[in-house]
Amino acid sequence: MNIWEIIIITVIKIGAILTIMLLTVSYLVYFERRISAWIQSRLGPNRVGWEGILQPFADVFKLLLKEDISPVAANKFIHGLAPFIAVFVAFSTYAVIPIGPDVTIFGYSIQLVVADVNIGVLYVLALTSLGVYGLTFAGWSSGSKYSLLGGIRSSAQMISYEVSMGFSVGGVLLMAGSLSPIAIVEAQYGWMWNAIVQPIGFITFTVAAFAETNRLPFDLPEAEPELVGGYHTEYSSMKFAGFFLAEYANMIIAAGMIVTLYLGGWQVPYIDKLGLGEIVTALMQVGSFFVKMGAILFFFIWVRWSIPRFRYDQLMNLGWKVMFPLSLINIVWVAALIMIFNL
Amino acid sequence: MTIYDIIFYLFAAITVLSAFLVVTAKNIVHSAFYLLFTFFGVAGLYVLLGADFIAIVQIMVYVGGILILLLFGVMLTNKITSVEIKSGTIHVLPAVIGLGLFAAFVLSTMMTTKWKSNPAELPFTTVYDLGYILINEYVLIFELLGILLLIALIGAASIARKDKE
Amino acid sequence: MDASLLTENLSYILPEIVISAALIIIVLFDLIFHNDKRIIPYLAVAGLAVAGFFIIDQFSFEGSAFATSSSANNFGMITVDNFGSFFKLFVVCVSILIVFFSFSSEEIQKTFDRLGEYYALIFGMILGMIILVSASDLILIYLALELLSLSSYVLAGFTKLRDRNSEASLKYLIFGGVSSGLMLFGISIIYGMTGTTNLYLINPLLQAPNLNLITVSFAMILIFTGIGYKISSAPFHFWTPDVYEGAPIVITAFLSVASKAAGFALLIRLIKTTFVTFTSPDGYWQLINAFDWQALLIIISIFTMTLGNFTALWQNNLKRMLAYSSIAHAGYLLLGLVVMSDQGLTAILIYFVFYALMNLGAFYIIMLIANKTGSEEIDDYTGLGSAAPFLGVSLAIFLVSLTGLPPTAGFIGKLYIFIALVDAKMIAVAIIALLNTVVSLYYYVRVLKHMYLQKSDSPKDAILPSTGQILFILILLVPTLLFGVYFTPIVTFAKNSISLLGF
Repeated sequence: MNIWEIIIITVIKIGAILTIMLLTVSYLVYFERRISAWIQSRLGPNRVGWEGILQPFADVFKLLLKEDISPVAANKFIHGLAPFIAVFVAFSTYAVIPIGPDVTIFGYSIQLVVADVNIGVLYVLALTSLGVYGLTFAGWSSGSKYSLLGGIRSSAQMISYEVSMGFSVGGVLLMAGSLSPIAIVEAQYGWMWNAIVQPIGFITFTVAAFAETNRLPFDLPEAEPELVGGYHTEYSSMKFAGFFLAEYANMIIAAGMIVTLYLGGWQVPYIDKLGLGEIVTALMQVGSFFVKMGAILFFFIWVRWSIPRFRYDQLMNLGWKVMFPLSLINIVWVAALIMIFNL
Repeated sequence: MTIYDIIFYLFAAITVLSAFLVVTAKNIVHSAFYLLFTFFGVAGLYVLLGADFIAIVQIMVYVGGILILLLFGVMLTNKITSVEIKSGTIHVLPAVIGLGLFAAFVLSTMMTTKWKSNPAELPFTTVYDLGYILINEYVLIFELLGILLLIALIGAASIARKDKE
Repeated sequence: MDASLLTENLSYILPEIVISAALIIIVLFDLIFHNDKRIIPYLAVAGLAVAGFFIIDQFSFEGSAFATSSSANNFGMITVDNFGSFFKLFVVCVSILIVFFSFSSEEIQKTFDRLGEYYALIFGMILGMIILVSASDLILIYLALELLSLSSYVLAGFTKLRDRNSEASLKYLIFGGVSSGLMLFGISIIYGMTGTTNLYLINPLLQAPNLNLITVSFAMILIFTGIGYKISSAPFHFWTPDVYEGAPIVITAFLSVASKAAGFALLIRLIKTTFVTFTSPDGYWQLINAFDWQALLIIISIFTMTLGNFTALWQNNLKRMLAYSSIAHAGYLLLGLVVMSDQGLTAILIYFVFYALMNLGAFYIIMLIANKTGSEEIDDYTGLGSAAPFLGVSLAIFLVSLTGLPPTAGFIGKLYIFIALVDAKMIAVAIIALLNTVVSLYYYVRVLKHMYLQKSDSPKDAILPSTGQILFILILLVPTLLFGVYFTPIVTFAKNSISLLGF
């Protein structure tokens, strides 16, 4: 492959991933509303199109047509920049998550990942830590105390849970012996899924992912009774949509990471024993990735409508006094497993 | 000039320019904001040198941790964001002489020294070797770093906590 | 590194391991038994005693551990030799005294709740120092220096009783940050030129024919900045008076003795392992001509002691006065290094032992008086000679010893340094140092004048030290007088302790 072919293939991959992401985000919103309605025995949006299927587009038009307001007290430049940071971080993270095995299309061997970064896991963690800036800047620059409090809350929360998140990932890295997501997926061959091998790490990572995405029961940054809308109180129109987009994109990434790190990624146990053709196998594997991700996303929504919100001190206590020690125990547990079974 | 030179000068310019803006900005939040670019520039230089792990850690630790804490401190401090930082110049002459001497030394060092280099092939990833060396040959330094961090933690807690009256 | 090699390497650093273990035990003990904080100082003394035992055990043993694969001649990062052991023992002994010192300090007793943190930080300092005196790798040196500095920054502002505490801590931090940054820059230049951080490997590389001498000098001056800051030599002394005055007296005493000793040990090791080509039979070191240490050190030492002594003349706060006096003493100590000979090195070691005794003693008595009167101002010492006879006499002896008058130990220390200077035919430097001593006489004696000759306007309350405090003073006082007349054991000990690994 010469350089131009690589560039063209990469651009195609980026385009494909972006399209999938944007579509998933908009339909995630739709599904969240439908599922929440179902959980609460309501109907939910069902007027635009068949069963409300066109609702996301209506929402986007509504936001586009709204007036873009930036408050007098705001720091205009940073106020405008914050949503871009949020969106940029959310979308660029997806570059390293593999959605399938290597496939051969038109004679080209193509990896189903935008960038095979050999320290991909660190890349995700680094970008997640950048995500804090979007919220912090948004909170500070709005010039409103509700926004500021929301911004501070969210960054404190994200920093606290990043610690246990990082340590949970440590166990996965020990098992795979690599920082590359592809190697991590390949290390979970068969039923050696990390969720089964190291359940504590799976739980701590998932909880931390909830906190990182500011989802219930950890959505204190936007706790309506106390903070109006949290860090995006002063945002409207497409800037608000930017945050909205970033939040749901973050959810998808969190789900993608959970699947990659703990649920075997695109692996289907023992599918290679069935003797199917390469294309069929690959399709099933890609499908399995999206099914797993969908299940995790459903779990996210399910939790949101079932569990009440934490109080702030409870949140911090949980993060530092429970999650952090648990994730350390997980590392010791994995290390012991490796030592005993020579994995 | 190869493509690498151009990339190098690009990142170097980002680093130096934003560092200059950090010290000249009147608003402390703006300073912090420019510092972000300084850190990114340095991380870019690390990538250029093939130190992928260091680059990511630079972003994770400095941008994701230290700078956020800095912003945090600023936001939680009452009215600090509206305070104009004093950035007048005093003792111009001694500063010029001192800085001039330092710059002259640095420049002459940079231009005339024959730096030792043993070119090797760029490794695919540095993580493995780095980890191996840290826990083998440099294990003493690794452990001592642990104690250093423990002391830093104790010291920070000791400074921050309020004494009971 | 396989297991047997690791155990062998670890056996070289037993004292360091003991100190680290004691540090961790103290932290855990404080965490688990909140109510038995009284035991922590005893734990500290026990840890120090065990470490001291291992250090004595290592005397007359030479070796080096943790060699990297690139070091062909097998010199590792950390060395064990008599020189290092001497300073380790020095640091440990001073630390034991400091623990007892803390018992009588009201400032420290007021923060009884935080006793665990206090001793953890003290042990951080100790660990930094004993690694610093035996490290032979630039990375390890830098790390140990940071460990030492970080702990001392916090300790300088530990009590938080007055604003001055925080000011001391902050000033210390800012000066320390800048100087350690400069030092790191110097280290990176050295690494860039030689491709190694091991002091023993740098030595042959610096003898290469077409070396850029400006670059070497630049790097060395930068590295000296970091060390000069630790030993508070001019022009890096600006932090000293403020920090010494603001910090709790215990910490001031510790910084002025132990931390300074560690800095000197580092400077000596740096010069002797990286810059010496060979030692002539009469004990003079031949330096590589990459950098002229002698010229730099002569200027710095004369500058340091003159500045310290002359500024001390105007001080009315005793702590601040002793701070400037300790700057001056750093100048005298540097003189021992200026001659670049084994004789000068012996003189430094002797001087350090005596300096520790008299400086700790002076600080201890000032602290006892401050406990009572709440002041360190010289005017408040008026008439103390009759109000506290024992303390007055002891302080007088310590101050006389600091001046360097016979029959005290301070005289012997100065004598050896001057002899070394004269033997090296540096008469002019010796005369300047002598004149400096005369200047210092003025401000030391001024305290005595206030205590004994001036009438106090109001009658002073008597200050009666407890038995333990009298005992502690005697432990410092008796040797100060004894070594003034019978100093052969210390001299023999110092002569035996000047051997560095490889030289």
